[in-house]
Amino acid sequence: MRDALEGSQAIARAVGMCRPGVVAAYPITPQTHIVENISKLVADGALHCELVSVESEFSAASVVLGAAAAGSRAYTASSSQGILLMAEVVYDIAGMRLPVVMTCANRAVSAPINIWNDHQDSMAVRDSGWIQIHCTDNQQAVDTTIQAFRIAQDLDLPVMVCVDGFVLTHTLETLDMPDQETVDRYLPEPAFARRLDSANPLSMGTLVGPDYFTEIRHVQHRASCRALDVIAAADRDWQALTGRASGGLLTVDGDPDAKIGVLAMGSVVSTFREAMETLPGGKKAKLINLRTFRPFPAQALIDACAGLRHLVVVDRSLSPGLGGILATEVKAALADGPKMPKIHAVALGLGGRDVPMEAWTRLVALAKDAPEPFHILDLDPAKLDPADL
Amino acid sequence: MTDSVHDLRARQPRFSGLEAGHRACQGCGEALGARLVTEAAGPDVILANATGCLEVFSTAWPQSAWRVPWIHSVFANAAAVASGVESALKAQGRRTKVIAQGGDGGTFDIGFQALSGMLERMHNVLYVCYDNEAYMNTGIQRSSSTPHAARTTTSPPGRERMGKRHLKKDLLSIIAAHHIPYAASASVAYPQDLRRKVRRAMEIEGPTFLLVHSPCPLGWGHDGSHTIAIARLAVQSGLFPLVELERGEVASVMPVRKAVPVADYLKGQGRFAHLFVEGDPRAREEREHLQALADYNIERYGLAGEGTDPYDTDGADTVRRGGSARI
Amino acid sequence: MPVIMTEGAFARPGTSLDFKTGTWRSERPVHKHATAPCHKVCPAGEDQQAWLAKLQENHPAEAWARLVMMNPMPAVSGRVCPHPCESACNRGHYDEAIAIHGLERWLGDEAIRQNWAYPVEKGPMRPGHVAVVGAGPAGLSAAYHLRRRRYKVTLFDSQPEAGGLLRSAIPPTRLPRDVLDREIERILATGIDFRPRVALGRDVVLEELSRDFDAVFLGIGAGRSRHWDVDGAVPADLREGLGLLREWLAVGAVPTPNAVVIHGGGNTAVDLARVMKRAGVAEVHVITASGLPGPDTDPDDVLNVVPRELEQAMEEGVVFHPHRTIQRLIMRGSKVVGVEMVRLKKLPNAKGRKSRIAFEGTETVLHVDMVIPAIGEVVDPDGVEALLGTHDYFTADPWGRIADHERVFVGGDARDWTRDFPGGTVSAAIGDGRRAAEGIDAAFQRLTPRLESRPDIPFETLNLHYYESAPRLRLPVLPLDQRNDSAEIEGGPSAGDALAEAGRCLSCGNCLACDNCWTLCPDSAVIKTVETASDGSHYVFDYDYCKGCGLCAAECPCGFIGMIAEP
Repeated sequence: MRDALEGSQAIARAVGMCRPGVVAAYPITPQTHIVENISKLVADGALHCELVSVESEFSAASVVLGAAAAGSRAYTASSSQGILLMAEVVYDIAGMRLPVVMTCANRAVSAPINIWNDHQDSMAVRDSGWIQIHCTDNQQAVDTTIQAFRIAQDLDLPVMVCVDGFVLTHTLETLDMPDQETVDRYLPEPAFARRLDSANPLSMGTLVGPDYFTEIRHVQHRASCRALDVIAAADRDWQALTGRASGGLLTVDGDPDAKIGVLAMGSVVSTFREAMETLPGGKKAKLINLRTFRPFPAQALIDACAGLRHLVVVDRSLSPGLGGILATEVKAALADGPKMPKIHAVALGLGGRDVPMEAWTRLVALAKDAPEPFHILDLDPAKLDPADL
Repeated sequence: MTDSVHDLRARQPRFSGLEAGHRACQGCGEALGARLVTEAAGPDVILANATGCLEVFSTAWPQSAWRVPWIHSVFANAAAVASGVESALKAQGRRTKVIAQGGDGGTFDIGFQALSGMLERMHNVLYVCYDNEAYMNTGIQRSSSTPHAARTTTSPPGRERMGKRHLKKDLLSIIAAHHIPYAASASVAYPQDLRRKVRRAMEIEGPTFLLVHSPCPLGWGHDGSHTIAIARLAVQSGLFPLVELERGEVASVMPVRKAVPVADYLKGQGRFAHLFVEGDPRAREEREHLQALADYNIERYGLAGEGTDPYDTDGADTVRRGGSARI
Repeated sequence: MPVIMTEGAFARPGTSLDFKTGTWRSERPVHKHATAPCHKVCPAGEDQQAWLAKLQENHPAEAWARLVMMNPMPAVSGRVCPHPCESACNRGHYDEAIAIHGLERWLGDEAIRQNWAYPVEKGPMRPGHVAVVGAGPAGLSAAYHLRRRRYKVTLFDSQPEAGGLLRSAIPPTRLPRDVLDREIERILATGIDFRPRVALGRDVVLEELSRDFDAVFLGIGAGRSRHWDVDGAVPADLREGLGLLREWLAVGAVPTPNAVVIHGGGNTAVDLARVMKRAGVAEVHVITASGLPGPDTDPDDVLNVVPRELEQAMEEGVVFHPHRTIQRLIMRGSKVVGVEMVRLKKLPNAKGRKSRIAFEGTETVLHVDMVIPAIGEVVDPDGVEALLGTHDYFTADPWGRIADHERVFVGGDARDWTRDFPGGTVSAAIGDGRRAAEGIDAAFQRLTPRLESRPDIPFETLNLHYYESAPRLRLPVLPLDQRNDSAEIEGGPSAGDALAEAGRCLSCGNCLACDNCWTLCPDSAVIKTVETASDGSHYVFDYDYCKGCGLCAAECPCGFIGMIAEP
């Protein structure tokens, strides 16, 4: 059924259809509308779950941790400072192998305080052990949210569904909402083998010393790697049910034989897709949408980059002193491939700066004339003290 | 011999949620407190534990001393994890009671906000704080629960200081201000009283809170065999009053009919040794200060006792052949 | 087995048992089974704490059975014993001692009333036939304890009835005759062959007994008054105390001078003093070298008298002169008209042994017209001359064995006192009889008898926090104006009062089964047993996990738990 919905509203409905037992969240712009919409679903009796309106993101993460450990499907959503405030627990959820799903309404991180979209927040917890999947539009946000619960349950790993703040969360989009029956068919009943149960009293979150810590980290890494297959399978199965795929690990648009590629994540991918189609010379490069950032799909990326001479990697976050985080990882992954294209690292759209379609043309042009190993594409030198140039 | 003792252990006539083999120090008040709490609570509970000694000494993987389902996440979030567990149980229609527990660090300080949130949201959770009055797990640093003038590694006495400068946080009053159904203080020196309070809290649907005074031989500087004696003196001196609060109002107290001097409590502990240095006028002053605080408690809670309860700090745990005189 | 990493590192319940924290320990707790002070001082060897424990469990018959394992005559001893157990009772330091004698007599009376059976071993008699001479407390006790061990016993006495001194020298106001009769009757009914009216020396001689029996026990008492004079002076009309008391018990008459001095510090002196006071003697003085009970008097220097008897005697008007002796008799012709007393005290000499030192300048005079020595008796040598030689008493080891006489045993007043086993009381005689039975049993079985050896339990080692103050049982006492020559002066307790009083016992040195150790062990290293553990407590230490913190020992109310160094 096609509906014109705000992204947050659509995500809230999708969450509701997954029948979570416990939802806990603390409002933060731009995630707010998701929480508000879920609250309304609960208030209207459309969703029967324990909605825990916590006093902080730290507690939100803690509540869903406890709920998942007790065997309930658990969901939270946050953003930016909220993600960082819950960071300690974010790591803990992953380390304890709990199937939590969280929407990250991606936003810049202070200081300076900025409520608009980039990817700094999810990047800040990229090593926490969570699966991170980026959405290019709200249809994907809906579909990926539903898939996330299945992936989490299959692997006993938490999944972060990354949705660009405002650009997606606050944008009205016409999209297909699946019906409840389809979701019920797709999602298994929650079944957490280690659930807290006085009939089988296990201890979770134990102290692990040097004798075993290495092994537990290894096991966690292996589970995370296994997620590559599970993510792809979840998307295939969803496609079989609904006819819609969300992009598996990554997707490639444009001329498969192009020598230039542009790699990006999130809503800019939608912008660039349109630019490819509509701008003159737009088809000179192919567009790689890295949907799955964690686990990092290195082999899929190597395959997608076969034949490329230049690859422009678009970062929507910044590691000061290093440059592009995504670019660094892509470069590292391709180093294991047979022939590495020239990597051009750029950042753009930081703190909500608009990414217009024209950016695509400039990115493609970078393949010929990259000014430096890393630069910020939409930097305005006029706003800088010359000393900072 | 080992086998037969092992068999006897399996046939103990009361449930214990904390098994032997944990790594607590000799004479640990917190280990004792946790054992008593789980005994009274019974097997049908789920524990959410803050980081701290209790967590560390009980669960060195691959072993666990717990015989009840138990979860530890991080230092500050025991109350929030318990909230989540309780919410899940509610969603699933399970009736198991949830107990959150932590030390004074995880309760008075870093976990304070999560605790307040849990109480405000009226989760059906019993929160137990084992109060040993400093951050013991990291090596005896001051907490907001450390008594005034006590020595810790971050409040050492010296030329300019006489131990901790500030007062022990009156947590119970803050808890009471949440208007929850039941909050109480207890002491490992009075196990019958402690277990009664746990059972009371277990019966209540809603948030309850128990503050358990739990001496730390290492941190307080006393012999492990004196744990109970020291805890008893804290109560008998009035420095750690045992009270019960319902909806924020004092409902009952354990009377202290004949208060012992606070100095009797202090002098058995290394953390107050600097208060007994001959010829230091500050030592006397701080002792008097602590005595005044105890007197204040006695007056404030009416511990001197006009009630009819025949059991005071002397009678509360009398024994008779075959068990306690008071169950 | 290799350890396999679990998802998220979860652990299974109770697996910490794989970690034996017992290796941390430098000291270990042990059950001490200390000797409660009541038991330690009891001349009869009773373990009062043990039978009080049975009373605390509300099992009076079991309590009595435990009591008569040592002393077959609780109805008697509960009335006549000076109960050193109560003086030693740790509870006396806390509030007031347990009224042990009152509970003992209650149990004795209950056993008679309900006809509880003595715990005598069942089964065929064992080889060995013992002659017991003298049916006083020592002989009755020996006969009973031998019978309990299934030996054949023939009990001889010169009198028509058993009881010895109990019958001939203790007033019925202290020991009603029906109680005495019933208790003796019940003891004899356990299967003792009693032969009355057989006097040693007159009707039978020791050599004959030695020949006809496998062993002989002499419980013949001390039937001859000790020689008494003051610097060689003796009144012409001298009568000694025990003789007068016996005469009064037999015919109901005593001399009634205006004023009398009784010289001596035992029950005979006090009993006679009270009898004479009641018979109308205006002034009755007791002069004794010992002291009155009190905080300033050494326990071994106190009058060897039942304390409440002393109180009652004073109530009745008997005047005591403690720490004094008679230095001179003031005579008119051969008649006494007064005595000169001097103060003295038992003090250690250069060798550390105590001897009596008189203090010059403390002489005082009492004007009296009669002086009665009651300073004790010695063995009547009739029939035992060869064995006794020139001694006043027999010298024997704790089992009554006389050197060089393998199968002859002695006990009771006939035995000379030793430091560990003083005599002179009914209870001491009962204890002697029991140990002699043990000695005879050991001789028959060619074993070496052993004395019990358990540590003491000083008051300071109790943890009093766990007890509540409660007043001592008050037994009914006949008012002064109702006292006569026959009515028993002190009454017994009700069943309820007796059980409540037993509840006051602190259980010194022995397990109270209070659960404290089990409840307070932070390491779950104390295990409670449903059935009684092999050592009689309800708890065992699990040394696999005990870290040796010592909390159980510190918080054990009764000092049952001690810490010892690990080897």
